[in-house]
This record gives sequence, structure tokens and C-alpha cells, in this order.
Amino acid sequence: MQTETTPKTERRWMYTGYAATIVWGISLIVARLALDKELQLEPTSLRVAAALLPVLPTAVFIWFFVARVRGLDELHRRVHLEALVIAYPLAILLLVTLGFLQMAIDLSPEDWSYRHVWVYLPFFYFLGLVISWRRYR
Amino acid sequence: MKNRLRVLRAERDWTQADLAERLEVSRQTVNAVETEKYEPSLSLAFKIARLFGGPIEDIFQDNENNRSARP
Repeated sequence: MQTETTPKTERRWMYTGYAATIVWGISLIVARLALDKELQLEPTSLRVAAALLPVLPTAVFIWFFVARVRGLDELHRRVHLEALVIAYPLAILLLVTLGFLQMAIDLSPEDWSYRHVWVYLPFFYFLGLVISWRRYR
Repeated sequence: MKNRLRVLRAERDWTQADLAERLEVSRQTVNAVETEKYEPSLSLAFKIARLFGGPIEDIFQDNENNRSARP
């Protein structure tokens, strides 16, 4: 069931979402720059802190995203569910395939580490959304 | 499942957006129900029936029932 929203609360939600997304993006960039090998950030605890920097903004972003999906009507919620149903096995397939390839050949961590692979996951979700929407349009 | 939503809406001269607003769903949802690409939940079906002032079975017809009703 769709939650009741007024234009004012809708705007507030939208701004909160934009703010959460921007803070999340900035935290990713800051963490990436702080962990650059050239920078040689010391001590190690500072590097760990930089690596964990995006965790809290990501949690806020996820909270916002879940709240938004809950506020959608039933068809849109189904589309998001189907997108997950497509994206999740694709993510498993990617990780399993990379795992096997790692056993077969030496995959360079410069190309195939976690920080490279995560980008595929939102892409799979987006792909799932496109596939699911095509079914209902 | 077949439905008469498009006919009922046209009788009232409502656009899909008008109906969507009355049902508190998106226009895409109304379109998907009308084109029978999406079967609404029971609660939405009841809401539609209430809006058009009739029983659910006057708006939505189960394909199985249609088959068995034929001679």
C-alpha cells in the first residue's frame, strides 16, 4: 500500500535522498584518495579508519533507499523485487566465476579486487530494473 | 486474468492519471492492470471495486472461470 505523501514531505524526502547520496559519494571519494598508495597514509589505524569511512553514509543511504521503496506502490515494489531476483544470482555468478578463474589463472588484484568488482553489483540491479520494467510496460 | 478497467474508466471519462490518483497508485500501475500485464493485489482489487461501486467479479474475470463457463 502506498504511503500518504504530500508535496512538502515528498520534497523533504527528495532532498534527504540527494543529501544522503552526495554524502555517500563524497565519503567514497575521500576514502579512495586517502587510501591511495602514493599517499602512504600512516599509521595503519588511520588507513583502516579511512577504509571504514563510507560505512555510516552507506547505511544512511540504504535506510533512505529502503524507505523509498516501501513508499512505492505495489507494481513498483514488485519491479524492485524482481530486479533483486535478477541481480542477486548474477552477483553470485560473477563472484563464483571470478573465484574459479582465480584458481585457474592469476587474476591481477590491480584489475579484479573487491574495489573493482563492486561496481558490477549496482549495474546488475539496474539491468534487473530494465528487464522487469519491460515486462509491465 | 481479464478485466474491464479500461471500459469502466472510459465510461467516466477519466484519464489513467485521474484513476491512478483516485486509487493512490502510479499511472504505470493503472496502465499495467488495464493491459493485463499485472494482476493487482486483493486490496487494490477491492479498492478498484469500491471506486466503481460494484463487486470485484464484475471488473475482474478469472480465465479459468471463463473457460469452464463456456459450453
